[in-house]
Amino acid sequence: MKQEVLRLPAEQLFQKEIDALIAAEKDPIPTGWKMSPRSVRTYICGGKVGKTVITPKYIGHERLVEIAISTLVTDRALLLIGEPGTAKSWLSEHLTAAINGDSTKVIQGTAGTTEEQIRYSWNYAMLIAKGPSLEAMLKSPVFHAMETGSIARVEEISRCASEVQDALISILSEKRISVPELSMEVPAQKGFSIIATANTRDKGVNDMSAALKRRFNIVVLPSPANLDAEMEIVRTRVEQLSGNLDLNAKLPEEDVIAKVCTIFRELRKGETLDRSQKVKGPSGVLSTAEAISLLCNSMALAGSFGDGKITDEDLAAGLQGAVVKEDEKDLVVWKEYLDNVMKKRGSRWSGLYKACKELNR
Amino acid sequence: MGAGIHFFGIRHLSPAGAYYLRQYLEEKKPRLVLVEGPSDLEDQIENMTRSMTKPPIAILAYTSEAPVRTVLYPFAEYSPEYQALLWCHEHQVACRFMDLPSESILAIPDPKEQEEEAGEEGRQSVYKGLDQAAGEDGYDTFWERVMEHADSAKGYQQGANTFGAKLRELTEGKESDWTQILLRESCMRRQIRLAVQEGFLPEEIVVVTGAYHVEGLRSWQEEAMSEEEYASLPRVETNHTLMPYSYYRLSTRAGYGAGNKAPAYYALLWESLLQKEPLRASYSYLSRIAGYQRENGMPVSSAQTIEAVRLAVSLAALRGSQVPSLRDLWDAAVTLLGEGTFSAISLAVADTEIGTAIGALPEGVSRTSIQEDFYRQLKEWKLEKYRDLTAQDLSLDLRENRNVKSEKAAYLDLYRSFFLHRLRILKISFVSWQQVKQENATWAEHWVVRWTPEAEIELVEAALKGDTIAQAASFAMKERVEKAADMSGIASVIEDAFLCGMAEAVRYALTALQAIAVDAVSLEELASTAFRLSVVIQYGTIRRLDASPLTPILKQLFYRASLLLPGACVCDDNGSKGMKGAMERLNTVDLAHDFLDREAWIGALRETADRDDLNTKLSGYAAAILLERGEMDTERLKLEVNRRLSKGIPADLGAGWFEGLAMKNRYALIARLSLWEHLDEYLDTLDEEEFKRALVFLRRAFADFSPAEKDSIAENLGEIWGLNVQQVSETVNGPVSQEEQELLAGLDDFDFDI
Repeated sequence: MKQEVLRLPAEQLFQKEIDALIAAEKDPIPTGWKMSPRSVRTYICGGKVGKTVITPKYIGHERLVEIAISTLVTDRALLLIGEPGTAKSWLSEHLTAAINGDSTKVIQGTAGTTEEQIRYSWNYAMLIAKGPSLEAMLKSPVFHAMETGSIARVEEISRCASEVQDALISILSEKRISVPELSMEVPAQKGFSIIATANTRDKGVNDMSAALKRRFNIVVLPSPANLDAEMEIVRTRVEQLSGNLDLNAKLPEEDVIAKVCTIFRELRKGETLDRSQKVKGPSGVLSTAEAISLLCNSMALAGSFGDGKITDEDLAAGLQGAVVKEDEKDLVVWKEYLDNVMKKRGSRWSGLYKACKELNR
Repeated sequence: MGAGIHFFGIRHLSPAGAYYLRQYLEEKKPRLVLVEGPSDLEDQIENMTRSMTKPPIAILAYTSEAPVRTVLYPFAEYSPEYQALLWCHEHQVACRFMDLPSESILAIPDPKEQEEEAGEEGRQSVYKGLDQAAGEDGYDTFWERVMEHADSAKGYQQGANTFGAKLRELTEGKESDWTQILLRESCMRRQIRLAVQEGFLPEEIVVVTGAYHVEGLRSWQEEAMSEEEYASLPRVETNHTLMPYSYYRLSTRAGYGAGNKAPAYYALLWESLLQKEPLRASYSYLSRIAGYQRENGMPVSSAQTIEAVRLAVSLAALRGSQVPSLRDLWDAAVTLLGEGTFSAISLAVADTEIGTAIGALPEGVSRTSIQEDFYRQLKEWKLEKYRDLTAQDLSLDLRENRNVKSEKAAYLDLYRSFFLHRLRILKISFVSWQQVKQENATWAEHWVVRWTPEAEIELVEAALKGDTIAQAASFAMKERVEKAADMSGIASVIEDAFLCGMAEAVRYALTALQAIAVDAVSLEELASTAFRLSVVIQYGTIRRLDASPLTPILKQLFYRASLLLPGACVCDDNGSKGMKGAMERLNTVDLAHDFLDREAWIGALRETADRDDLNTKLSGYAAAILLERGEMDTERLKLEVNRRLSKGIPADLGAGWFEGLAMKNRYALIARLSLWEHLDEYLDTLDEEEFKRALVFLRRAFADFSPAEKDSIAENLGEIWGLNVQQVSETVNGPVSQEEQELLAGLDDFDFDI
């Protein structure tokens, strides 16, 4: 049967790997966990258990994964911060999938998220008919996690209003939730924790209070550590996506991916890959996710209007759009980059350089 | 093998090594301790163990003749060698250095200096292999986890010996300095044999040496350097001294031994060993960072610190270790105390890991190599007569003296200049540079030189920066580069580096300049930096330095300035003064070099001259530059004048533009009769209020014209108005009459806001 679901939760997608890891477990397992911290690391960073190959879910920055896992061992809450497109939600999903075998206790933070969604709310029909009772209560994912001693996820926490964020403070410090309507208190079982994610570009939207920040261990997820890692990520994702989207174009050549990743990395980091020269960065983020969508776009262009092969002109249009977001300033940055860096790169780059330069005539 | 001798392999600067070595010595109670250290520096042991001596200290050996080569042996309180010396001193046990004498070490060319890359790579790859095998992310972490947290003397000793033996197996013969290692070990074996011949029983001897050498020393009975071989070692004349050292320098000298990047943290480890509390260093490390943050106004709670300790412990547990390593602590500190970012706690971390501790020595012990170097150079450059308490003038001519034979004599003054500039960089009050603006400023220099006791003290202090004047100056410049907040700060270092004749410092500063060049900077700063670089490039040859590395960055800066110019010309009249200077400078730079992007510059000037929304004075000035460079023809000028001075343009703008235009190449302007006709027509179109306004600006524009220039203008005006030239000239150049004064005074009160 062809799979109809657009996207399965991680624990189902990687069921085999998780089972293999649990079966081969040798180290002590913390209360409420399905496997030991070391096995969680193997699940995320890849490796081999017996005959099962564990695919790496998060490439590069193993140390950060270790910090994240250690944080959850010490029953602290974990806050993953990063630029858009740095795999925050991806990592949090896989952490919970490995630790609890359940990544679905999620609250999506939005401007419309209310305090009830963090704690609990009521089935009002039943509330009016029968009065407050356990049956009439709608438990939030956090509530469930506390009861079962597992991990709840809060996505984009900094997009919630501050009173909603504050509701988390008491949960995280008291580790219990009180239900005055039923005059009862629900204590959290061992193993309960929260993984929240927040976007650095949202800073100032609903900045987290110091009190809340203090209750999290904060891990900042950087962009991929080196060119190879980034190319690896881009290649895998572009392959997956183009399959899904039926783009009718050839997959981008290695050289094209290398060029896009090089330009993105250099502009993002503000220096050339060989570190010999600094360059000025544009106002946008230029995340790995953007590189992926840029290549998919170029493929769509080539597939629908060209001969199915990405040309320098397709790429130049995409690059111009990705880099120059706030016209005037970004344009200066882009022109400077073209002349100071790309122009000097020799024949391999000259086609792309000319195409980019042409757009700026 | 080894025949009863007790070998204790260590890593230099290892707290656990120092601690367990003391235990070991207590247990073995030797009568003689042999320590790895140059045997001719033995006389310093007495000074090192004096109660007034506070580590970190270093023994420095240096050649008496130029070129000065130095070799340095730093000791911290937690150096096993230092503790061995102390133990011997306390227990009245004989103690000797057994390594190759420093006079021979300095006589043998250091292979590492020649093929640094290759040798280091070999060793690095071995270390890398070790890290990977241990699953650690760095050699230091590996060592700390395995050795510094060892829980017994035996464990440490065995671990170190095994480690040393393995490392030896892997690198044997591959290291670029392998022959030197063999030579040193052969010499050490000779010392052991000598001691036994002297009557010490092998069991009474403890040998303290790097873990690497233990295997190499065991065969002391079978093979050792013979007396003839020892006598025929190459030797040079050397001096040596004990000098105060600092944790900072200890941390930067990664090349020595196994390196010690975090001396202050290692001191904490030493303390926790003494207190027998393995986790004490972890607590102290994190609390210190927290304390530093609080002192500097960033709130950090005790709860956060406690959580940081817990995280560090659980990170260590993930590696199967009880005690967190520095890496674990560092990560915990970043996660909790820095809220995820290192930059938030970088200063606190530097303070806690490196610290500011400086060693101390009893008075009169130290005679540093930098002092030696100073006196040697004073003699070499024939400057000794200036070492006097009265101030003396010294004028230098940097050009080649063609009347002498040797190259050194021909450029004597240039070398003197290098030397004096280096002293100036080190802020040694012996010299003061008299900067004069004059024609021949490129090849002449004037100095006032005066010797004072303070200068001697400053010289000793400079020893902390380096072992020779050149090294110290280079270090000082590096510091300046690191501290420099803006571009011109770094550009001034480049200038200084050129003055000092130090190509390496030029390169270093250049890289830093390149790094800072992309940050947001004002056009004025770009211009003045470009100007400085341009001067260095033009006149660098007189200092016999290759200025070509500067050209790419000048190109880049100049291109950038061209891109930014039109945008930067949006400013008020106050701002326009600085901008005018910047444009002037950039234009000079452009004229001086032909490798710059001229097209971009002219394009930027054109845009500035054409646009109506910029500061009009600057637009006018841009037009003046274009005119001067022949990039604007008469037709175009006429058009522009028409447009700028047409009716309806506010008088202050029109006149402001003209003021800008008149700031340059006046003769060209004066010679253009049509220009004056236009100005005349323009003034006629103004009503009285507007005229007054325009008058103020035009008066300012003509204020600094010379009488002759005004004459020529009068000539023009006479022609236009059909008047007698003489008469107009007299009126224009004559003193202002009482009546006119009053009129002008009235203009002072002119309210521009109407």
